[in-house]
This record gives sequence, structure tokens and C-alpha cells, in this order.
Amino acid sequence: MGRAYSTIAFDPAKCDGCGDCMTACAQAKTGTDDIARSRIQIYGRDGAADKTFELALCRQCADPKCVTVCPAGALSKDGTSGVIGWDASKCVDCLLCTVGCSYAGIALDETTGHVSKCDTCDGNPACVPACSKGALKYITTANIYNEVGDWEDLFAPGLAGCQGCNTELLMRHTLRRVGPDTVLATPPGCVPGMGSVGFNGTTGTKVPVFHPLLTNTAAMLAGIKRQYKRVGRDVQALAIAGDGGASDVGFQSLSGAAERGEQMLFMVVDNEGYMNTGMQRSSCTPYGAWTSTTPVGETQRGKTQDAKNLPLIMVNHRCAYVATASTAYMEDLYDKLDKAIAASKTGFAYLHVYSPCTTGWRFPSNLNMEVARKAVETNFVMLWEYTPQDGLHFTKPVDDPLPVTDYLKAMGRFRHLSPEQVEHIQKKVVENQKFVERMTEHAHVG
Amino acid sequence: MTTATLEKAAAAEAPRKQKVILAEGNEAAALGVALARPDMVSVYPITPQSSLVEHLAKLIADGRMDADIVDAEGEHSVLSVLQGGALAGARTYTATCGPGLAFMFEPYFRTPGMRLPIVLTIVTRDGITPQSVWGGHQDAMTVREAGWIQVYCESVQEVLDTTVMAFKIAEHHDVMLPVNVCLDGNYLSYGASRVEMPDQADVDEFMGEKDVNWHVALDPLRPMAVDPLTGGTTGKGPQTFVRYRKGQCSGMQNALRVIEEVHADWAKRIGRSFAPLVEEYRLDDADFAIMTLGSMTGAAKDAIDEARDAGKKVGLIKIKTFSPFPVEALMKALAKVKALGVIDRSVGFRWNCGPMYQETLGALYRLGRFIPSMSFIGGLAGADITVPHVHRVINETEALLNGAAAPTEPVWLNEKE
Repeated sequence: MGRAYSTIAFDPAKCDGCGDCMTACAQAKTGTDDIARSRIQIYGRDGAADKTFELALCRQCADPKCVTVCPAGALSKDGTSGVIGWDASKCVDCLLCTVGCSYAGIALDETTGHVSKCDTCDGNPACVPACSKGALKYITTANIYNEVGDWEDLFAPGLAGCQGCNTELLMRHTLRRVGPDTVLATPPGCVPGMGSVGFNGTTGTKVPVFHPLLTNTAAMLAGIKRQYKRVGRDVQALAIAGDGGASDVGFQSLSGAAERGEQMLFMVVDNEGYMNTGMQRSSCTPYGAWTSTTPVGETQRGKTQDAKNLPLIMVNHRCAYVATASTAYMEDLYDKLDKAIAASKTGFAYLHVYSPCTTGWRFPSNLNMEVARKAVETNFVMLWEYTPQDGLHFTKPVDDPLPVTDYLKAMGRFRHLSPEQVEHIQKKVVENQKFVERMTEHAHVG
Repeated sequence: MTTATLEKAAAAEAPRKQKVILAEGNEAAALGVALARPDMVSVYPITPQSSLVEHLAKLIADGRMDADIVDAEGEHSVLSVLQGGALAGARTYTATCGPGLAFMFEPYFRTPGMRLPIVLTIVTRDGITPQSVWGGHQDAMTVREAGWIQVYCESVQEVLDTTVMAFKIAEHHDVMLPVNVCLDGNYLSYGASRVEMPDQADVDEFMGEKDVNWHVALDPLRPMAVDPLTGGTTGKGPQTFVRYRKGQCSGMQNALRVIEEVHADWAKRIGRSFAPLVEEYRLDDADFAIMTLGSMTGAAKDAIDEARDAGKKVGLIKIKTFSPFPVEALMKALAKVKALGVIDRSVGFRWNCGPMYQETLGALYRLGRFIPSMSFIGGLAGADITVPHVHRVINETEALLNGAAAPTEPVWLNEKE
């Protein structure tokens, strides 16, 4: 697997062309205030005040053309940091690299007569803190994928998920993190549907896996965990369940296992319906959504009830850990996985992951992350975690949410909504946000 | 072998002294479970099974039984917990009845398919509706095509002994199927009687080394997918499914032999024997017979003795193992008589007769000889099947022998009393 590296990101919408970043770079690298010598260059600073700005900066490319074209071998990519370095002792000053780079990331420093380029200041770039507008960011998020990439993917390649399936992404990441000493329960739904448990003697999973009933996942898993505990073996009990089974017909066994504090990690993949069997409504389907059992017709326009808030119900079981998560915020998800795994050593851990469904929600398969992100940015989905010790708190608070229409319009399942229905949804989003906010204030009483 | 060695071997084989106690059927079942040393019991209380659960809880609380007890939130989860436990290598046990068994049905019919040797006592209860919390065999009869082995007990002592044997039968490599030990609600569950307690060391030797999940497991040390989807429209899938189904069926048929072997072993080691499949009582020189199931057999034997004293040549056939149906053993018994009356404590809605009667018709057909027969239904909803009831059965069956036409409808014993 390839590696991901930290990088400097630029937001032209926030840049006002002040040039502070350039000054900071020049100072850090040359000890002067000469912005011509800065390795970061903002273009378009002349002219009208409303002009947009562009950035010339080394992208530290994965497949760097500057390195390829260098005849002297003076440029090389560091496999660990990802930074492309320049070796003065080998450079013949031919400037071919400046031609090879499409981003003007490497240029001639006329003062020295050699090329110069950004080296990210050893992971602490001077330009980023100098930007008071927040147009520059040093992005380190991608690093979690490097660690993840070294762990074994415990699902076989070629599972039969839909194109762009978010659930498959989530499953592969989750099981990587949880590891091979796991017994995995995948109740009927998309997870076994795409071949995790297998067909006619095959299996798509490398850990022991089973297909409980839609109704008894938590109970069956409890029996497994109890027996391993009895014989003194540390085996992780993990469920990857759909929202329908968990919130509807399987809720009794889920609630019972949570009440007894069975030591397991129960993950619900919430794609807001029975998406594997033809996109029928579940109690987690949101108000107004089209499903095959809440169709749009003359007298009814989508689901007429609001979604059941399963993670909040689980909070009221006083589980060892409860959290909501989204694949659009992987670092947050991994953090919560770690906490949930730790909590499942002593009690019931519950992780509720929102999982947009390209097929059932009616949006193009390349927009999965975008839909997932918009859900959070509009507060349609709120990311929080709960423990009995620390109560409930937001992990990605969105104080200034986008209007809910930004989320709804991304999907075909809400295309039919009337203004009144949109208003209802927006009202509910605000109401839910206030409800959870109140819980953050009062959850310490336990 | 020297005489001394022979004496020593004989002494080693003789059962140790057994404590005599007074116990109800539910308590006897719990004690039998404790003797079998399960790893996990999961329970949910329901009348008339509740005191069985209470006895189990107390045995564990007192440290007389070393098992993990899971008080689940309903029978559906109870059996699910045990399926998980069994897949992780545990010897497992539970008990239920009536509506609890109905609620358990979803995991219930899956257990034999996974070949999990779970033992489940059905403290039999009649079906609802109309509402009834009393005894009757309707619950156990209703699930007779789910693929479990079902054995019915006549006495409290038989409950205790059969419960231990059930684990050995279930876990036998040629069987690997779950077992229902059926004991009659009210009569056996609450009826206290003298019970001899086998010595734990004798039972341990009888049980041998635990070997529960050699065939299917959820264990990271040997990862496998348990119960993948099978079937489809053509080829490999349906073939696989057929192979599994045939395997279940042959496991059931193997059980007939294994049940006999286990009962013989029990008799040798513990010193008490019970008819494993079909018991014949005063049948050898009988002209006609009545057939019974469960606790009604006691009253029926008394009635037979009285009828014999009155000169009637009547015998009794008791079914102990109802599922798999002991066709060969039953045919052997039926070959001795010329008329038959069958008493059921449940109804068969499809044929308008008792379910055991309906099963017996199949055995009669196999016999290749016509025997006039009739169906009696009694003991529903906790009603007593008394000696006078059985005399009526004997008399009406005897009439068949003398050429009376067999009624096409069942005789309802408690209809007008």
C-alpha cells in the first residue's frame, strides 16, 4: 500500500494576499524579509481588491516530475517524510526541474543562483502560523492511513458491495483496527450480503465470522464472549450490524446485552434503512425520505415519522462507551474505535456510524464522502461520545451549521420534499442539536 | 485374570452408594444438569418451568454447580446465548415451555442445523389460546419438525437420569444434535417423589472427557465462517444444502442406536435402567394395547394391572423417544397385538387426532398388517389422566378387537366431567 504524507493546504477563499506567509518563509529560510526569496509564492497580489489568489508551492508529489527530470540526481523524495529534498553538491544548475514541475513549486533563487523549494520546515512550516486568515493549513490527518496500511485487511478482496459502498470502507477499516483475535457477528443486512460470511462454502472474512439471526446478534455474541472469558482467553467480540436489525427487531437482544454489561463492541452501520433487501424503511430512516416502503405518491410523500435516535437510547443504558461517528472524519472514528475497544474489555461498547448508501439514497457513487461530510456540517448528524465517567460531549462540534438543504439536495431520496417538509427537517435538526447540547450539560450526574 | 482382579474390576464397576432425597421434577432436572457439569446455562422463567430456573440459580449461588448463568431478557436470547456459548466450546443447558418455546422458535429451529448439542428441558405446557398455564404436550408436539431429539419422562427419577444422559446423547459424534428432555408440567414439575442421586464421580466417568465443539467453532485460532449462505437455483448450492439436511436426518437416525447405547451404559454404571425408545408393559401375551407418553404412563400401568386382574389381555406401549420416532422398535411392539388405542396429551389440528396417533399410523402401515386403532385425547390444560380414564381407553379399544367400528374422530377424555 502507498503511503500518505502531511501537506500544506491552501484555501484561496480565505487568502487576502497579505503576503505574511512569504515573509515568514523568507525569514525562516534566508534570514531576510525579501519575499522574492520565499519558497511559498502568492500570485495575483497586484490589481483589484476582490481578485482571487493562487499559490505556488511544492506539493511534495507522490510521483514528482522534478525528480524524474533531474539529470544529476540532486532531487530525491524522502520515503519517510514525503519531502522532496535538494542536494547542492549534486546540482548542476540546469533548471530542468523548474520546467518539470507543473505547480511552480521549485524555482531559481537568483540570490544564490541555485533552485530552492519548500521542505515543510521539518514538519513545522513557518508559513502556516504566520497566516492570520487561516488560508494555510498543515494537514497531518492522512498519517493515520499509513499505520492502517500496515495492518492486514481482514476481509477478502472483491466483496460484492455496491459501487462506492461506504459500509465496505467502514468494515475494512474497523476490522483492521480491531485485529485478528476477533469473533465477528454480521447479522442479515449489507455486511453479510456483500459476502462477508460467504456463499456455498466460501467466506469473505479472515476472522471467524457468523451470520446470527437478525434478532439475536448481541445475545449470541454474549455467549461466545462469556465462554472465552470462562476459559481465560482474550477474544474480542465484535458485531457489525445494520440499523434495521439493531433498532427494530433486534433491539430486545441489544438492550438486554447492554443492560447485562456484556463485554463486546457493537457497531451499527446506519444507512437509514433495509438497504440490502430493496431499500425499505427502518425506524432509523429520517422523516421525509423516500424508501420502497415509504414511497412518494399522491397522498404520501416519503416517511411520515422521524428517525429513532438509537445512540441516545444506548446512552440511557449507561453503556461503558457510546459514540456516533462518520467515515468522513476518519481520525475521529479511529479515536472512537480505540476507546470502544478498550471499553469493551469491561462492559458494553456501542458505536453508531452513519453510512451513506449510494444505491438507496440515490446519489452518484463518487459523492459518498461529500454526503457524509454534509450530514455533519449541517448538524443532521452530530458526532459525540459518552462514557458514564465523563458524560456526553461533542467531538466535532458544528456551531455554525450549513442549512440542512445543503445536505438534502445532495440526494435523490429527498428530491420530492415540499418546503413544509424541509422546514420540518430543519426544525428537527435544531431541536436534536439542542437536546444533545442539554445532555452535554447534564450528563455528569451519573 | 485372578479372582482378586476380577473382584476389584467388579467393585470398580459397581455404582457408588446413592443418596436418597425428596425432589420435585424441576429440582431433579436441575440436579441432573449439575451432575453433567455444563459451562453455561441461560434462562428465563416461565410457568411451570420457573422453579427449575430457581433451582439452577441456587445451585450456582451455593457453589454446587460451576456454570456461567446468563439471565437473558427472554427465551429468544436465552437460546441465542447458548448457541454462542456452544460455538465457543461450552456445554450448555436451558429450559422453557409453552409461549417461551414459541418465542424461542427462531433460534430453536436453527440449533439442529448448526449441529449444536444443546440440552433443553421442556416442562411441557398446553398451547394458548385459550389461555392456559397448565400441563399438556402441545408445546413440544408443535416443534416436532424442527429437528431436535425429544424424549419424554415418566417419573421424577427418570427426569434426573435422562437429563444427564441427554448431554451424552447430544454430544455423541454420530449424533451432534440438540435434545429436549420433556417432563410434564404440573405433574412432574411440581410432583415430589423419592429420588436416588447418582454419585458425581460415577457420572463423571460416564460422561468422559468433554468434547463439545470439534466440528464447528468460532475461534480465532481456527477461523471459519459459521453457517454461510447455501442454495440457489442450480448446482453446488442446493447440493450442499441437501448434504447438510441428509446429515441431520442421519444424525437423527443414528440417535436411535446411540440412545440405546447410552441407556445401557447408564444402567451398567449407575444401576438404574429405563426403556430407551419404547417400553413394553405386559405386552408379550396381550391381544390389544394402549399407548402412552410421559407421566400418564403411571396411571395407565395401574389400570392395565387392574384390567389384567379382570381377565383382559391388554398391554401397554410407552413411547420414551418421540423424536426420532422409533419406528422399528414400535413395529416390534405393534406386531404383538390386534387392536390399539393411543392416548395423546395434545391435538393434531390437521388430522383431527392426537399427534402421536398420527405418527403411529405410519408405523402401522410399515408393519404391513391392518390393526384397528383409535385416538384418545386427554390431560389437556392440566387435566388429570386418571385410572378411570385409562379404563375407558382400555374398554373402547377392546371393543375394536371385538369388531366395533373405529371412530374417525378422537375420543376427548375430559370433555364431560
